[in-house]
Amino acid sequence: MSSLLLNPNRAFSPLSRQVLKASFSSLCSISNARILLGSCPTAHRVVGFTPRASRDSFDAEALPESNTKKKSRNNNKKIILFGSAPSPLSEERGGSAGNASGKPAAEGSSWVFLQRAFKRVLAVLSNLPLAIGQMFTIAALMALGTVIDQGEAPDYYFQKYPEENPVFGFVTWRWVLALGFDHMFTSPVFLGMLILLASSLMACTYTTQIPLVKVARRWSFTHSAEAIRKQDFADSLPRASIQDLGIILMGAGYEIFLKGPSLYAFKGMAGRFAPIGVHLAMLLIMAGGTLSAAGSFRGSVTVPQGLNFVVGDVMNPNGFLSFPSEAFDTEVHVNRFYMDYYDSGEVSQFYTDISLYSLDGKELMRKTIRVNDPLRYGGITIYQTDWGFSALQITKNGEGPFNLAMAPLQLNGDKKLFGTFLPTGDADSPNVKGISMLARDLQSIVLYDQEGKFAGVRRPSSKLPIDINGTRIVVEDAIGSSGLDLKTDPGVPLVYAGFGALMLTTCISYFSHSQIWALQDGTTVIVGGKTNRAKLEFCDEVNRLLDEVPERVTTDKNMNG
Amino acid sequence: MIFTTLEHILTHISFSIISIVITIHLMILLVHEIVGLRDSLEKGMIATFFSITGLLVSRWISSGHFPLSNLYESLIFLSCSFSIIHMISKMGNHKNDLSTITAPSTIFTQGFATSGFLTEMHQSAILVPALQSQWLMMHVSMMLLSYAALLCGSLLSVALLVITFRKNIDIFFKGNNFLIKSFFFGEIQYLNEKRSVFKNTSFLSFRNYYKYQLTQRLDYWSYRVISLGFTFLTIGILCGAVWANEAWGSYWNWDPKETWAFITWTIFAIYLHTRTRIHIRSRTNQNLQSTNSALVASIGFLIIWICYFGINLLGIGLHSYGSFTLTST
Repeated sequence: MSSLLLNPNRAFSPLSRQVLKASFSSLCSISNARILLGSCPTAHRVVGFTPRASRDSFDAEALPESNTKKKSRNNNKKIILFGSAPSPLSEERGGSAGNASGKPAAEGSSWVFLQRAFKRVLAVLSNLPLAIGQMFTIAALMALGTVIDQGEAPDYYFQKYPEENPVFGFVTWRWVLALGFDHMFTSPVFLGMLILLASSLMACTYTTQIPLVKVARRWSFTHSAEAIRKQDFADSLPRASIQDLGIILMGAGYEIFLKGPSLYAFKGMAGRFAPIGVHLAMLLIMAGGTLSAAGSFRGSVTVPQGLNFVVGDVMNPNGFLSFPSEAFDTEVHVNRFYMDYYDSGEVSQFYTDISLYSLDGKELMRKTIRVNDPLRYGGITIYQTDWGFSALQITKNGEGPFNLAMAPLQLNGDKKLFGTFLPTGDADSPNVKGISMLARDLQSIVLYDQEGKFAGVRRPSSKLPIDINGTRIVVEDAIGSSGLDLKTDPGVPLVYAGFGALMLTTCISYFSHSQIWALQDGTTVIVGGKTNRAKLEFCDEVNRLLDEVPERVTTDKNMNG
Repeated sequence: MIFTTLEHILTHISFSIISIVITIHLMILLVHEIVGLRDSLEKGMIATFFSITGLLVSRWISSGHFPLSNLYESLIFLSCSFSIIHMISKMGNHKNDLSTITAPSTIFTQGFATSGFLTEMHQSAILVPALQSQWLMMHVSMMLLSYAALLCGSLLSVALLVITFRKNIDIFFKGNNFLIKSFFFGEIQYLNEKRSVFKNTSFLSFRNYYKYQLTQRLDYWSYRVISLGFTFLTIGILCGAVWANEAWGSYWNWDPKETWAFITWTIFAIYLHTRTRIHIRSRTNQNLQSTNSALVASIGFLIIWICYFGINLLGIGLHSYGSFTLTST
């Protein structure tokens, strides 16, 4: 039977609804050009159907009864009854029209003019296609910002986008520098677009989303079976009681409102509010980002082991709101810098043992920091970001120890090469000969003799001597230097709050807001419902719930089968 | 040593199972519907999921760190995410054809990962200091899950566009396929009862009806999957920002990878905005809206690939862990 193929996983529904299978066979005949579709896929619950002209969630025309705005008070403990509000856009339009015409002239025409201008601007900004256009523009600018190399000297752009041979035929360095594309992410064009997007966000939240909340919170009963049948999902249950339906819906997590023969239930209201939360979270993040950009300090320093520096000396302000705090008078002392290695010899982690002293010598804090684990004190954060090789300590022929400064020969991220040179013989002659020492990390030093031939490898911890060209060298110690970044950022708490809010509200806005209306018509209950996001799941869920409504067979009611 | 052999075995198992699954799918679609095979398809996908997960776990044990440190591992994780998406969509017991997207995607990513391009990354390597953090698990796994979901959703939109703009859809009329009927009299039915197309209660043609049903279904599933992916993407980007603040001192550096992830986020935010709160008064507008959003999602498909792969090819910036060079092997 074709119905098996229609829904192989579905059992037939309980007896109470097989009464409606009258037109079942006509439903299943696919060969007919005409098919009656009533509701959800089980296909043997058929009401009638009326195509809905609109998909809008708040189309008030679908519930004509409720437009009469009755506001009767409840006299039953489970009842609340309001009239429904008109749709938000007409409300806004009506509001602005009313405002513009109804404002008394006694307040001054300039005030009226300002109000009208404000409302016009608001209406323009909260236009959705405009917002979409802004987002596209921002995305395109960002993409451009990754293609064009940022932050180079103007000379670089002269060479890369020359006037004699423009890229794509028209892009010369004049375009790039004039529009600020060499520092795209702080350029006026980009920041202006961001400001525009923020104002659109605020306008949209104010004009469209907040009225939506007001409408969503008012609910209405319907007293017309026609209105219910017009919903996305509609069905009717013969020989059922609306109270049973209410109880079952309540068990499924709906909030029920029951008055007389009609019922209203909803679930997942948070899904309506969450998009507002998303917009507000984004505004919070933007505000925090602005504060960061305007009021933070940054500094970067490479400190050899054993030396120290004062915080305030290395910090540079970032914007016009940057004010140094008291903590800037702290002295930072690098007690020890060391690295951990894997068995294969590669670096596994960098550690710096740091002490903070106040200017009169009192130790305030001591911590060993490493990458991903910074030190926080008084609003300042100290990060381990880099390392260097400061000096190599050796003894030569028993004399010393001498500190030989190591020069960086190659700095390539984590792969570095340092070298130093110990002259043997006359240090002032033009072609001085000596012993070269190279190192990739603080673990092992490679030594080369006067001719440049490889002589040996020594670890500083081993203290083993090595004889090169008659000189006895003992590598005592490798003194590293720690690369530290310091930062203070007042916008971080705001931005973190915005992040948390954004994550939460994005998750919540995935839920969908479902509403169900029902009417007891004699012994039949007519049910209709709609939801804004998860249409298929809603359909299945309501099917399942309606399956559970018990059939009431009573003998004292006037039934006609 | 045992874990490397286990890894090899699991790679082979997952690859073969999923090839079989795809073969059966194609057979069902093109040749003949055998209802009993659908169950075995489900089991096949579950088996693939377990073998890929087992692969990742054995790599985790053998290397000592969470298996997400280079491009090879992230591709394996991506194929695992595809199978997770497949299973999530089946959880609600909805009859859908998402598996036609997820199964080939899984095999393609798995195949590319194990192919000759990335052989030097197959060995488990050590973790550089900057990656030794708890945030690694959260940020990268969320991003990969989101990529998987968004790729699925945008592929569904691409399919929608292809179907909308093709003149003849011959493939659906090979023989008297029960398959088509079971597809189209499924859940999507109720979504369409209220559309204007049924104002006149006779259909324009057999073909248009099915085409309409199919596009509606694709539209709906694309919307749901992309919303899920968008949630994951938001969480992933924000976790990355917090991690960057802990590690490098600033939560946003306009790094190429970060910027492109933000561009992806923006494009899919545009997608979600094109679908909401626009009054639809007639069927043509309805179609236009779904075509518009499908167009945006298709652009999103390209953007995700640029974000995930393109930036890695360049190998610049702070995210260079995932880079590789295309050598001809």
